[in-house]
Amino acid sequence: MERWQPRGRGRGRGRGRYSSSSFGQSNDSGPSKASNHARKTTTNRNDAEDLPNLIGTCPFMCPIEERTQRERLRDLAIFERLNGNPSKSSSTLAVKKFCRTISSKDLHNVDLRPLPVLQHTLNHLLTIFESKEHEHPFEAVHDFVFDRTRSIRQDLSMQNIITGHQAVNIYEQIVKFHIISQYKLRRNSSNSNALSPMHHLNMEQLTKTLTSLYHLYDTNRTSSFTNEAEFYSFYVLLHLDSNHQPTGESLSLWFKTLPFSIIKSKEMMFTRKLLRCFRFGNYKSFLHYVETEASCLQYYVLEPYICEIRAFGLGCLNHGGYKLNPYPLLDICKVLIMEECDVESFCKDCGLDTFVSDEGVKFMPTKQTSFCYPKGSQRYYPLVSNRLKKFYDEAFGEML
Amino acid sequence: MASYMSMGEAHRRITEYLNRFTDVVSYQDGSSLKQLLSLSSESPSFLALADALNIFQDANRVIRQADKYSQYAEIVAPLFRAMQSYRVGHFAESYQAFEKSANAFIQEFRNWESAWALEALYVVVYEIRILAERADRELASNGKTPEKLKAAGSFLMKVFGVLAGKGPKRVGALYVTCQLFKVYFKLGTVHLCRSVIRSIETARIFDFEEFPVRDKVTYMYYTGRLEVLNENFPAADHKLSYALSHCDPQSVANIRMILKYLIPVKLSIGILPKRTLLEKYNLVEYNDIVLAMRRGDLRLLRHALEQHEDRFLRSGVYLVLEKLELQVYQRLVKKIYMIQKQKDPSKAHQIKLEVIVKALKWLQMEMDIDEVECIMSILIYKNLVKGYFAHKSKVAVLSKQDPFPKLNGKPINS
Repeated sequence: MERWQPRGRGRGRGRGRYSSSSFGQSNDSGPSKASNHARKTTTNRNDAEDLPNLIGTCPFMCPIEERTQRERLRDLAIFERLNGNPSKSSSTLAVKKFCRTISSKDLHNVDLRPLPVLQHTLNHLLTIFESKEHEHPFEAVHDFVFDRTRSIRQDLSMQNIITGHQAVNIYEQIVKFHIISQYKLRRNSSNSNALSPMHHLNMEQLTKTLTSLYHLYDTNRTSSFTNEAEFYSFYVLLHLDSNHQPTGESLSLWFKTLPFSIIKSKEMMFTRKLLRCFRFGNYKSFLHYVETEASCLQYYVLEPYICEIRAFGLGCLNHGGYKLNPYPLLDICKVLIMEECDVESFCKDCGLDTFVSDEGVKFMPTKQTSFCYPKGSQRYYPLVSNRLKKFYDEAFGEML
Repeated sequence: MASYMSMGEAHRRITEYLNRFTDVVSYQDGSSLKQLLSLSSESPSFLALADALNIFQDANRVIRQADKYSQYAEIVAPLFRAMQSYRVGHFAESYQAFEKSANAFIQEFRNWESAWALEALYVVVYEIRILAERADRELASNGKTPEKLKAAGSFLMKVFGVLAGKGPKRVGALYVTCQLFKVYFKLGTVHLCRSVIRSIETARIFDFEEFPVRDKVTYMYYTGRLEVLNENFPAADHKLSYALSHCDPQSVANIRMILKYLIPVKLSIGILPKRTLLEKYNLVEYNDIVLAMRRGDLRLLRHALEQHEDRFLRSGVYLVLEKLELQVYQRLVKKIYMIQKQKDPSKAHQIKLEVIVKALKWLQMEMDIDEVECIMSILIYKNLVKGYFAHKSKVAVLSKQDPFPKLNGKPINS
């Protein structure tokens, strides 16, 4: 996707005091986070004190100057085109792009959107995202919403908006978008062997948005937010496997800083229960609890671990099972919460043979030496569950 | 409150300090210098000097009066301001000024060839951290962003850089490292420890054995704690054990701190502390956990975790302790085996899964037979139990030889 640059300002210039990387990376509110050891400041003052107080005044989803510029350059996303015209948009279609190289010295209030406009913009984007019509491939929808929500976060950050329910709500909705996208992208890429780069980038922004959200929760400790516990639970669920930590920090360290009310919340107690099962390797309980208690979003985050723990479970059954007692597939179904045909397929993915007895019953022999973890992008077999089935359908609409 | 001091008296105290300072520096008397730099000690002479400064108000004039004073103006003038602010309880201001003074001190320190002022440097480094902590508390209580401790971290990194050279000053680097650890642990930014650890452990100029014992113990304590956070148990054991064995046996508080983290590590590799040890060092929160492991009592383990949940979470060992469940299960199965052995040795190695269900029920833990089979399969897979399970007859068959392998100081393989 072509990158739009603000005309003249900032382009090709050296770094402003707040380099683009500080916005690209952390979306944290407050430019004081931008200071690091390498950067010299001539004064001891906190950088935030020097920042002019930016208050957005742009009333549109996209500043007029940017829109006319992009119309001229024919740099409009599909969803921004008026009647499909690649060089014509409108104030109800154009959405401000994320700009990597903006330096806040060059910003003007008229370029930034105030909170109500940002909420309106987000609503517009989410409408596109949640639309059940499938005119365009999901990747295109995701790409567009991904970039434009990033721009929303950028506007919030530059205006140093770190308080209030509305800001929290925006971040929560964006986290939700990333989670649902992650789920759908994963499904779409299961045909190829490697996970697409989009997948990694989405995960990156998911964790960044979560971090910003937690910062907001923290600075607004006196208020209470209804969804807070669930959104904290996502962090744990993203770090179940210590080998795949997106932010590289230990969970023990993270738990140290959590407020007591969150630790004792229903959502966090559930998540900690899952964490305990996962670390123990208790595949039966883990799958059971996911099936009976996980919320929709929690399920989307958890799905990658389901295959992993199922494989571990299969490995245990194969390893410890009595040689003369081949394991009936129907019993594996019960434990791993899978359909029988999926169990057969999954055994194959794990390098294990199955056979059919004379009576027509299917078995998996134990003590096979060929067991291995499924390679590449794992094929996903749904958890057999009426409760979870709603979540599968919700994400994909009435597809197929 | 300071008792009344006349202007004359104030002036006298200030010049007295300045004379002492300049003498001490010219004689390169490190241990006397360090006493002149400590604010947080709140010694009577410091308090009196601070009062004098606040009364006199124009100490800079005195500094400028004589060349022998003014050559150290960059260090002393902001130091005086730091003292004044400290005396009236303005810690953020005090930190600001002290950092300026410390900066100037570092520049001078660089120029002094020998390491005579190292102890004074330690005091400066310590004061930076302590003042920053107080400053942040003050800022937070006034609703402002606490950022002095973070600044202290940056400053200490600079000091580290000054010491990281070939000369005799380099033995001070470990002390500064430990102060940095304390800063990072307090801020929760422990990932920043990585770079300074790398410098200490890989730079050729440093020989770990050359550092003072006290600093080595502190260093191993903090790096050991990092290993605990990352659940690298062999490394954690090595480091914390080093700290323990080299720690001054008289300093009970320090031993306690080391044990607080070493015990969960030892438990994870199957080594249980004696009750007497726990009681001697007041670590009774681990009592029930050890008991649960001896008994194979899963309910007791869970109860103990819940009872001290907050404490364990805050020290970061909760997840480590939770994982002891595996060993508790192993112990439970072993106990059943031993009971069966007494009744009928020839059949002891066959344990009906139903019996395990009953045992768990007796511990008030409801678990169906499928889940018990699941647990057994995991114990076998992780080599905590040697044997197999017969799915059809719902029996676990243990190996006749060494059915419950000991961990032997190694963590459970996953």
